[in-house]
Amino acid sequence: MRHLSRFALCGAGSILALLGPSPASGAEPGLELPTYTRAYEPRTVDERGVWMEADEAERGLRDSPLRIREAGLEAYLREVLCREVGTERCAGVRIYAMEIPGFNASMMANGTMQVWSGLLLRSRSEAELAAVLGHEFAHFELRHSLTGFQQRRRATDAIAWIGVWGALTNRDTSSTQSIIERGIYRYGREQETDADLLGLQYAALSGYPASTPSEVWKNLMAEEDASAAGRNQKPKQKYTAGYFDSHPTHLKRSIYLAEAAAKMPPGGDARAKEYRAAMAPYLPRFLAAQIKRNDFGGTEHILQSLAADSGWGPDLLFARAELYRTRGNPRDLQVAAQYYREARAAGYMGAELDRNLGLALLRNGQADEGRQSLNAYLTAMPEASDAKMIRALVAN
Amino acid sequence: MTRLLIGLSMGLAAMSPAAANSLVSAGPRPNIAGSSFSAAPVDEWNRLSRKDGKNVEIWTRDGDQLNKVTFFGGIPSGKPLVREIDKKRQPLPKVAADMLITDIPVMLESTYRIQYAVSQMDIDSQEPATLGGHKAIRFTYRFAREDDGVRRKGEAIGAFVGGKLYLVTYEAPALYFFDKDVEKYRKLAATLAL
Repeated sequence: MRHLSRFALCGAGSILALLGPSPASGAEPGLELPTYTRAYEPRTVDERGVWMEADEAERGLRDSPLRIREAGLEAYLREVLCREVGTERCAGVRIYAMEIPGFNASMMANGTMQVWSGLLLRSRSEAELAAVLGHEFAHFELRHSLTGFQQRRRATDAIAWIGVWGALTNRDTSSTQSIIERGIYRYGREQETDADLLGLQYAALSGYPASTPSEVWKNLMAEEDASAAGRNQKPKQKYTAGYFDSHPTHLKRSIYLAEAAAKMPPGGDARAKEYRAAMAPYLPRFLAAQIKRNDFGGTEHILQSLAADSGWGPDLLFARAELYRTRGNPRDLQVAAQYYREARAAGYMGAELDRNLGLALLRNGQADEGRQSLNAYLTAMPEASDAKMIRALVAN
Repeated sequence: MTRLLIGLSMGLAAMSPAAANSLVSAGPRPNIAGSSFSAAPVDEWNRLSRKDGKNVEIWTRDGDQLNKVTFFGGIPSGKPLVREIDKKRQPLPKVAADMLITDIPVMLESTYRIQYAVSQMDIDSQEPATLGGHKAIRFTYRFAREDDGVRRKGEAIGAFVGGKLYLVTYEAPALYFFDKDVEKYRKLAATLAL
């Protein structure tokens, strides 16, 4: 058995060597960026295949109903990316803003980038958004889609052939196969680290603060902890990634990004004010989607995090009222009514405030006050799509 | 060996009806979704064997991706509309005894957004109605899921009866299918009783 284990380890070692060098070995610390080729065309069969799939996926994104097409949002995202990675590099990228409330952005081999609304909601400055876009662009520049695909194919081929060999010789090869399988996930995590570090180089050259990428992960960890606490669960941040994790943990990323940033020029303005102005038309819509995710703690953290930078404006107060009304405990309904009134005092103009305030009061047993607010809504919006229902509630 | 295979096939064939979809023929149909919901469809439907929850039953004509009627039969206070996929990370909103009737579409929307990765959903019209003689809400909505991006439309009627939520929804792709079968759903909904 010991002999077999040694053999298995030797075999795995040789196969891992055949699978190619670790991606981390190629990344040099410093501020020099990789050589960039304009109008790059795929060169090999594998690369052409990966691009072909990406082209097809891009058609789906371009025509998706989830794409946010209005008011030049995608043009603004392009400006941020160009500021982060440079005008020449960003010229070959198509950006699609998608209405998906998770924290994510991704990039495909052919230069297609998608940015989710959840990332736009959580970012507090252009620098934070740029940190994530720069990371995704680094995946593209380092051609991770292609190398990742090739590594997975080599590894799964090796696992299959070792399985055949094991069956022919009646030997247990599961430990060898398991080592190779583990390598697939480790390779993916190393790609993420490489993209983080190259993304940091873009940030350092762009004029955005170099410390921001680390802050992004700290903020995300704080949201996850708040979310867990809101669900009566134990907050849990790990330093070491698990066996099947595709990314390093948030904690590890925030630490190595902060360490690397300390060795770089500090950078300048995070452009928080400009970012808030650009997101203002979308903020109510993104907040409304977040509130419907039934994540009280996480959403409250996002609101507080945004308010810490911009102050409690009418949109944030209204969203906070909605959050409390949605949870719906008697104490929440009381607090919600208070926030609705504060939002009105802060200048919230929408008639839906009266409706939602009225519904909160009505649900909390304050029938007269509730009807008064609902009537105010009906006066302002007599033809609203829910006017008949609200009238029926008032009449009862 | 051949006999063994034949035997196994016959065994599987004999077992399959228990887990299969079934025909809902025209006529009275009591105890829908394991509840006091009853209806009297005037034509045939198919009942899916799939159970999205203890008190959930799905009917369709051509498959649930093309037209789907879902009965939520008496969801009690403290329970979600459908069975939660991930209670820890994706808990669903729960029915509460003090909910207003206008909270029904809100709850459906939140459930869809969390459970089915619906990232766009709008409640269009809301109006008073009756369901089995009880005060109810009739509402229409539109949504698109992240996975297929198909624009779907929905129409529903719901009520709280004895502290429990009773809701029936009809959903189909906005393109062609919704209009094709919406009248069949409305005829079915007109026969609902509690």
